[in-house]
Amino acid sequence: MNATTAGAGSGAIDLADLRFAFPARDGTSLPVLDGIDLSVPAGGIVALIGPNGSGKSTLLRVLAGLLRPTAGTVRIDGAEITGPDARIGLVFQEPRLLPWRSSADNITYPLELAGVPAAARVERLATLVQLMGLEPSAVGARPSELSGGTRQRVALARALALEPRVLLLDEPFSALDALTRERFDLELLRLWDRSGATIVLVTHSIPEAILIADRVIVLSARPARVVADVDVDLPRPRTIADLDEAVVSRTARRIRAALGDELAIAEARRPGRPAVTDVPTPAGIAS
Amino acid sequence: MNRPWVPVVLAFALFVIVWKAIVVIGGLPPYILPPPEDVAERFVSAWLDGTVWPHFVTTIVEIALGLVVGVGLALIAGYGLARSVLFERLASPYLVAAQAIPILALAPLLVLWFGNGLASKVVICAVIVFFPVAIATMVGIRSVDDRLIELGRSLRATDRQILTTIEIPGALPSIFGGLRVGVTLAVVGAVVGEWAGASRGLAVLLNLARGSLFDIPLMFATLLTIALVGVALYLIVVVLERRLVGAR
Repeated sequence: MNATTAGAGSGAIDLADLRFAFPARDGTSLPVLDGIDLSVPAGGIVALIGPNGSGKSTLLRVLAGLLRPTAGTVRIDGAEITGPDARIGLVFQEPRLLPWRSSADNITYPLELAGVPAAARVERLATLVQLMGLEPSAVGARPSELSGGTRQRVALARALALEPRVLLLDEPFSALDALTRERFDLELLRLWDRSGATIVLVTHSIPEAILIADRVIVLSARPARVVADVDVDLPRPRTIADLDEAVVSRTARRIRAALGDELAIAEARRPGRPAVTDVPTPAGIAS
Repeated sequence: MNRPWVPVVLAFALFVIVWKAIVVIGGLPPYILPPPEDVAERFVSAWLDGTVWPHFVTTIVEIALGLVVGVGLALIAGYGLARSVLFERLASPYLVAAQAIPILALAPLLVLWFGNGLASKVVICAVIVFFPVAIATMVGIRSVDDRLIELGRSLRATDRQILTTIEIPGALPSIFGGLRVGVTLAVVGAVVGEWAGASRGLAVLLNLARGSLFDIPLMFATLLTIALVGVALYLIVVVLERRLVGAR
């Protein structure tokens, strides 16, 4: 029912004056998102960058329907998102695989939850395994037997299981070593090419943001606002070698300039204030 | 380790040898400590002549029903303790207080209330099994990674799907830890319950062998039977655990 492709060209994201605040212990609330306006066209690919604790992950969770905005709306193809949605695939910072399931059963887990019959699951699994270039030996293995890179590959395959039109990635490759990370960045571009999904990537790495995105959105220190929306004027398909281009350093300079003040604000605020991480306590808040 | 039973057999042989040595060296009379061969002989004959069988069946039924009731309630309560702060605050003082009263002190009361038949033994078994399994379930459910539950929610899992595909599998290793303790306690519960008043059961046979029959080898053979019931139940739990939890 929900695994059907909505057709190419869908997956446009619209955020209008999006606000979010965490309720604090003393009855007040802690604003995290402070009126975010952002449009990503269908099939677009944007990177979100911002200081630590700026609310990037919170923004992604609001987008994914895991957290309800305090005000404002998230729309995908014009329809408001009010909860987790089959059109959205989410990849976390850690693979978050169910440790008691094999890779295969982890990949087909979303299909199982959605009530897809076993035969169709097997078929989809084969496609995803091929798409992600997973070794046959890895498919039957438990997560504990896999390398970090392979685990994240499985997590990506799982996120793609329901053929989402929008793929949200929360620093998905930050736990990988630099070389593996570059390879994954390129693979992500290849996946994007193939699936045509709209991608929102949260990252801490300016080179990664430039390599991947059409646009880099710079967020302020908490509460987050969009302080810069930088176009990446690099032709596609891109390769690692493209990172040497002069346009890259110009773009990076603009991102750093926008980021600079916000990093200073975030830094100055660190002592004293209660630690607010990017990751809210997930259970219970949404749904 | 291609012959894992070899050390088990050796250890058992050593146990029997030491037992025999104590009897011989200490010059103990059979009514204090019968030699192992007498006990073995009586064990076999008591099983073959039908002395043990009815008592054995009674005790097994008590344990089985007590486990079903006790474990069933403990799983539900353990989940409630883990997921509801209110329930935890309200219930845990009573649970701990109840646990602090020795089952030996409680058993006569329960026999008074539920009669000296099957019901009182089932209740006693259930009571004694309840605490470790409930606590293990609570700890297990609490140990389930919140991030996995968030993953489930992002995939639009229903509460029921989260329970069956994330919470239960995640808590299973801990629950089995509680079950290992629980099944051995269930044997204790049945014996204590029979001791407090019963007409049939392994503890009744133990009493008969010590008292009116004055058949000390039979008493030891009965003790051996009780011990074997505990070991068998424990092994069943271990095998189930291997099946369900497996390698992670």
